[in-house]
Amino acid sequence: MKPLMEIKNLTTRFYTQDGVVNAVNGISYTLDPGEILGVVGESGCGKSVHALSIMRLIQIPPGEIPAGEVFFGGRDLLKLSEREMRMVRGHEIAMVFQDPMSSLNPVYTVGFQISEALMLHKKMNRSQAKVRAIELLNLVGIPEATKRFDNYPHQFSGGMRQRAMIAMALSCEPKLLIADEPTTALDVTIQAQIINLVIRLQEELGMSVMWITHDLGIVAEMVHRINVMYAGFIIERGFVDDIYNHTLHPYTMGLLGSLPSIDEAPGTKLISIPGLPPDLIALPEGCPFFARCTYRVEQCRQERPQLENAQEAGHTVACWRWREIQGLGVA
Amino acid sequence: MNSENKVLLQVINLKKYFPVSRGLFTNRQTRYVKAVDDVSFEVFDGETLGLVGETGCGKTTVARTILQLYRPTSGNIIFDGIDLTSLAENELRKIRRRMQMIFQDPYASLNPRMTVGNIISAPLDVHTDLGGKEKQDKVQDLLRLVGLNPDFVNRYPHEFSGGQRQRIGIARALALNPDLVICDEPISSLDVSIQAQVVNLLEELQDRLGLTYIFVAHDLSMVRHISDRMVVMYLGKVMELAARNEIYLRPRHPYTRALMSAVPIPNPRKARDRQRILLKGDIPSPLNPPNGCNFNTRCPMAQAICFNTDPEYREIEPRHYVACHFA
Amino acid sequence: MTELPPVTEEINDFAVREHRSLWLDAWRRLISNRTAMIGLVVVAVFVLSAVGAHFFWKYDAKMDLNYSAKLLAPNLRTTEKSTQIHIFGTDKLGRDIFRRVVHGGWNSLRVGLVAVGISLSIGGLLGLLAGFFESTDLNRRERTILMAALGLGLGALPAWIARQPFQAVLFGLLGVASSLLHGKTSKKSSPRLVEYGLAGALIGGTSGFLVGPMVALVCGLVGLSIGLLLARPVGGKVFSSIVMRVMDIILSFPSYLLAIAIVAFLGPGLEKGMIAIGVVGIPIYARLARSAVLSVTQKEYVLAAHSVGEGHGRILFKHIVPNILSPIIVQATMGLANAILSAAALGFLGLGAIPPEPEWGAMLGDSYKYLSSGAWWAVLFPGLAIMFSVLGFNLLGDGLRDALDPKMRV
Repeated sequence: MKPLMEIKNLTTRFYTQDGVVNAVNGISYTLDPGEILGVVGESGCGKSVHALSIMRLIQIPPGEIPAGEVFFGGRDLLKLSEREMRMVRGHEIAMVFQDPMSSLNPVYTVGFQISEALMLHKKMNRSQAKVRAIELLNLVGIPEATKRFDNYPHQFSGGMRQRAMIAMALSCEPKLLIADEPTTALDVTIQAQIINLVIRLQEELGMSVMWITHDLGIVAEMVHRINVMYAGFIIERGFVDDIYNHTLHPYTMGLLGSLPSIDEAPGTKLISIPGLPPDLIALPEGCPFFARCTYRVEQCRQERPQLENAQEAGHTVACWRWREIQGLGVA
Repeated sequence: MNSENKVLLQVINLKKYFPVSRGLFTNRQTRYVKAVDDVSFEVFDGETLGLVGETGCGKTTVARTILQLYRPTSGNIIFDGIDLTSLAENELRKIRRRMQMIFQDPYASLNPRMTVGNIISAPLDVHTDLGGKEKQDKVQDLLRLVGLNPDFVNRYPHEFSGGQRQRIGIARALALNPDLVICDEPISSLDVSIQAQVVNLLEELQDRLGLTYIFVAHDLSMVRHISDRMVVMYLGKVMELAARNEIYLRPRHPYTRALMSAVPIPNPRKARDRQRILLKGDIPSPLNPPNGCNFNTRCPMAQAICFNTDPEYREIEPRHYVACHFA
Repeated sequence: MTELPPVTEEINDFAVREHRSLWLDAWRRLISNRTAMIGLVVVAVFVLSAVGAHFFWKYDAKMDLNYSAKLLAPNLRTTEKSTQIHIFGTDKLGRDIFRRVVHGGWNSLRVGLVAVGISLSIGGLLGLLAGFFESTDLNRRERTILMAALGLGLGALPAWIARQPFQAVLFGLLGVASSLLHGKTSKKSSPRLVEYGLAGALIGGTSGFLVGPMVALVCGLVGLSIGLLLARPVGGKVFSSIVMRVMDIILSFPSYLLAIAIVAFLGPGLEKGMIAIGVVGIPIYARLARSAVLSVTQKEYVLAAHSVGEGHGRILFKHIVPNILSPIIVQATMGLANAILSAAALGFLGLGAIPPEPEWGAMLGDSYKYLSSGAWWAVLFPGLAIMFSVLGFNLLGDGLRDALDPKMRV
């Protein structure tokens, strides 16, 4: 099956007063049609920046994408003109952000904002767009869609706004939906609703989804594959069962260990990863996780490990010692 | 951490309503946000009580009202036998030494223009006569206690990371050796791996110093990890109160059940197998809570009685309280 | 392969950044901003020349008079007509314009500093208190004091201006009495409104009668409104509302007209001009301070200070004031520019500086009639002086705003 998107060696930097911030450092991966990919990592790991780089939404300057290729629909998105890119955005790739209040313009009705995208990309007239927009609002589970069409964003609750955002994103039937922490600001029960919605829509429409989050609990139930990012690198990648049950990278292990588990014995201490992520301005030469790794050796300080294939299909890891660590027993 | 200990704090029929005012001259019946609407529970010495709920449930208001940062509209708060609601200003100040709070946002809870040393020593300045060297030593001890380098006393908050700032907040809270520490979402703004660091620190400090915690949070898995007992709130009322395992394994209130089923499980097989109870609709506004049971707009089991009678909050099993007609 | 021991959960996990104070950071940002640096240089030249001239190049304006040298064009070398070098020429009384411009700078500087000082201290204080009391819970004693002070201020100030001490005291008493009375929370609000309204009207009206019927009416109305206001369960919000409405009243006058009116009332002189400009500027700082305070009091560190048990004074001065300085500093810098401009306007109209004191606006006012006869230098140089000093402060203020914009490092 030909992949929907293929990213090769994507690199993004920011020039700031304090120095050059290496936000994304040469990442490569593929995304298949109909796949749900989870991009997981903590703040500063580059997950959001890489998505914005794909969408060419990085402000240049102070940002810069000095290297990399993003193949989508047969062309390299990084080489397109701004005009061509605008046809891609919203139409072929759509994005949903974390804070729905600031993604929706407060002075226009929600219905108008959805219609705008339809009129722009699908060349509909106003009444056609309105009909379609109401259909979409229904699709995402907003009750009384016809009435809600004329409401303003502040009249929606957080969960409903996020649904409206998803409706806007889906309006032009994109092939890929990128969701950047869409449920982080929402309550747990609303979050469950939104996750359920996205899974259902993905099945119905057959689109691919990239779900960016720091929450390993969410991705466990909804994604097919996971990219684990750290300091601008992908340090482990694989199918979801492999990542959780055959974790290879010490960082991923640490991350999973930090989560309290439902069947832990009372009094268990959480495994915490000591220290802090590295400064992206002064990345160490070797493995970016060196300073915090319990399995480190001299080679890790000097040479940066590349992603290599592990035993299971599609499972890659960037660690010098993964074989031995696997032998030692997994967390 | 066993619940046979003495009761340190009692919250009795606590209500906190915030008036939504209209105009300068009218004094008509203004509307009220019923942030906390008749809440009662106890906290035992040495335990960790988890206080959970979603937006608008009132958990933060409860926490702040316990500390008398808000004065209750009605109800009593009895701390170690003393009724806080009846105290005068100066007596209340003396009690404040014994109850402290750790705040949610590590970026907003420290004054950016004060040095770390001054931030931590502020409580000492207000309540004690410690001066000069003694105060310095105490500040350094506190920094060491929370795992920070005591040499950094003269640095400013912006020079630290989120997790470190939260530690500074913890050091400030512990400066006066309080009995009760209320943690208001202390880890929500932190990264996952840092959350574990801070939670481990909190547990260690509890063992070492014999602290009692009220842990307010919306991250249910973390709350379960750290709590002995849990209170589940919804729209200003308590829905259920029970020991930690009871809440997770045998929740009796439909809201608790839905809440537990919504918690993400970091285990793909279990997550896929799990049956989710999806609630329909959104949380109503606390300005206008529904008649009858507050949960009736979303409850999968709602019957006629739920729409006109408030369920009684009663003890259905020893130390397990529920407010539902059908529990 | 050797294994290093696991890292201890310690302390040198410090984000790689050297110790830099916030002010130093701001200073660096300022320096890197070219237009701000231009502004800073201009301001420095202005200040240094003004100060230097005042202390080292003595000038007695009253003695300076030389009809024979009047209205000479600028010259760089002596000629038969002009025996001295006048790089800016001379004015209608034969005075060296260059010297007068430089000394005028000293006067402008003084006006700017004093006027901004008045606006900042009074306006800033009012705004600070308004914002603070609006967002803090006060107990009954504090509210009483606050409302009494307000009553005193509201009544006393106009009474002082009108020289009626009796009213001043009376309004203060009205404030105190109302606050004490409403301590008994009664459920019925309407009777209380009527009670207090009447009481206020009566007190105001009767005292006004001592002066005259019109005054009685006005005082009665004022008393009525104060009484009505005080009938509410008052506290910080009312204090803040009243203060801000008074500020609005000042703001509703066109600033120059108000300044002229104040100068007309107070009499001539540069010092009176400073007061006038200062008073006109009070509302700006009040509003600024109040909104800055409101945003700070939302922050959790203020709540934390309350929970620790810190008193109002400590919170105000240790937590709130240091965090509202940035916008106030920026405003003060721009305000200096404005004050200089206003002083020049007053001087041009013949108000403010008493001749023969050198003052840029006054110099313009003296000399513009000679423009048509060709004496361009008498108008150009004072005008340029005004322009450059105002421009300098504005550029500096803009640069300061960018530099002090608190982008807290995450």
